[in-house]
Amino acid sequence: MSEAIPISLTVNGRTHRLFVQPWHTLLQVLREQISLTGSKRGCNQGVCGACSVMIDGAVMRGCLTLAADAAGREIVTVEGLAVGGALSPVQQALLDHGAVQCGFCMPGMAVAATALLADNPSPSDAEIRDGLSGNLCRCSGYVKVVEAVRSASAGGAS
Amino acid sequence: MEFHGPSTVDEAVSLLAADEDARCLAGGATLVAMMNADLVMPSALVSLRHIAALGGIAADAGGGLRIGAMTTHREVADAAGLDGAHALISETARAIGHPAIRNMGTIGGSIGHGDPQADYPAALVALDASVELRGPDGARAVPAQDFFVDYLETALQPGELITAVTLPPSPAGGFGAYEKFARVEGDYATVSVAAAVAMEAGRCRYVRVALGSCGPIPVRAEDAEARLAGTALADEDVAAAAAVLRDACDPVDDVRGSGEYRMMLVEPLLGRALRAAAAKGGAR
Repeated sequence: MSEAIPISLTVNGRTHRLFVQPWHTLLQVLREQISLTGSKRGCNQGVCGACSVMIDGAVMRGCLTLAADAAGREIVTVEGLAVGGALSPVQQALLDHGAVQCGFCMPGMAVAATALLADNPSPSDAEIRDGLSGNLCRCSGYVKVVEAVRSASAGGAS
Repeated sequence: MEFHGPSTVDEAVSLLAADEDARCLAGGATLVAMMNADLVMPSALVSLRHIAALGGIAADAGGGLRIGAMTTHREVADAAGLDGAHALISETARAIGHPAIRNMGTIGGSIGHGDPQADYPAALVALDASVELRGPDGARAVPAQDFFVDYLETALQPGELITAVTLPPSPAGGFGAYEKFARVEGDYATVSVAAAVAMEAGRCRYVRVALGSCGPIPVRAEDAEARLAGTALADEDVAAAAAVLRDACDPVDDVRGSGEYRMMLVEPLLGRALRAAAAKGGAR
């Protein structure tokens, strides 16, 4: 085993000083070293989206990002979406619309939807579907997710 | 395993040249997935993230375009002001994966993997692009058509890395189109067709075509292009060109489709790509 690398990782505004191995993924370090278990390990291949996090404002895969390569960048996980203990508008909308079934995909969906609305506050349904196309729900409850994101968007009070 | 984060191309080349089992880490979308699956375990990773010289899209005075190797798919997809056939590269980038993958993946990382089912390879061949490489012996440029050597094999030599992709000036009046047929949104292509076309008085004055997922490397057939040149891209012209292209194909049977099915897709996708590209030029 090679020598662990000292890094400093900024997650949800807090900086953590950690030792990681070069092959450790950001997902692994979030879950196992920082105890942020909201980001889920599904496929570990970048296909399912359950590990979605924002890095420097853009949605990315926690499982395809190496922790050592994420040092110095701003990471936001699902645990960082709530403000002052209150669910974010996207989280509240997912709850209100009954979008949560088994829940495994939800952290990734919430992060991807938040990144989508930050870039495009009033997306069309097609843009919502494209924005969430990298997040699989094996309960196949996509309709409620799209409705929730539409209602959380700037044009979606209806 | 070692982890390096050099800030210059020269440092990266020295690190790669010193250890032939070292690998470049670009966006991570392919390499980390392979590491997670225990398919590769490099002795060292050379992260290219901090090398500013590998980023950015720049037009040159002669009308060519240079895309730094670390440019993400999203940056290529969103690039403003790409004229004529150059817009084909943005259209292709938009067809890659999903938002998170487009935010991570880079053009250098994508082509360096040499996967014929990826989207960029066919587009770069259709655009007559070149791949800029830097190694211990200096810099060189390899035409895209020669860069892809075999399945997952490229012209990259030990110690070399990809620094940029360059596109020659768009052919006068030229436009491009990328037609991708996939099982679901965001998947690799079952078959893809990249076409660059210039029409004049309803006739095809310039044409380049390359197919993805139809063999170990992008498939180009100059005889097919010669068959299309001077025509109005009528059904019989497309059918005749598709027949020539099919002879150059060597598709695999896999989960995305049988080789026979892929061969059936060549003609309709070729027609769509050629007509979409020609239509962008409008009535001329």
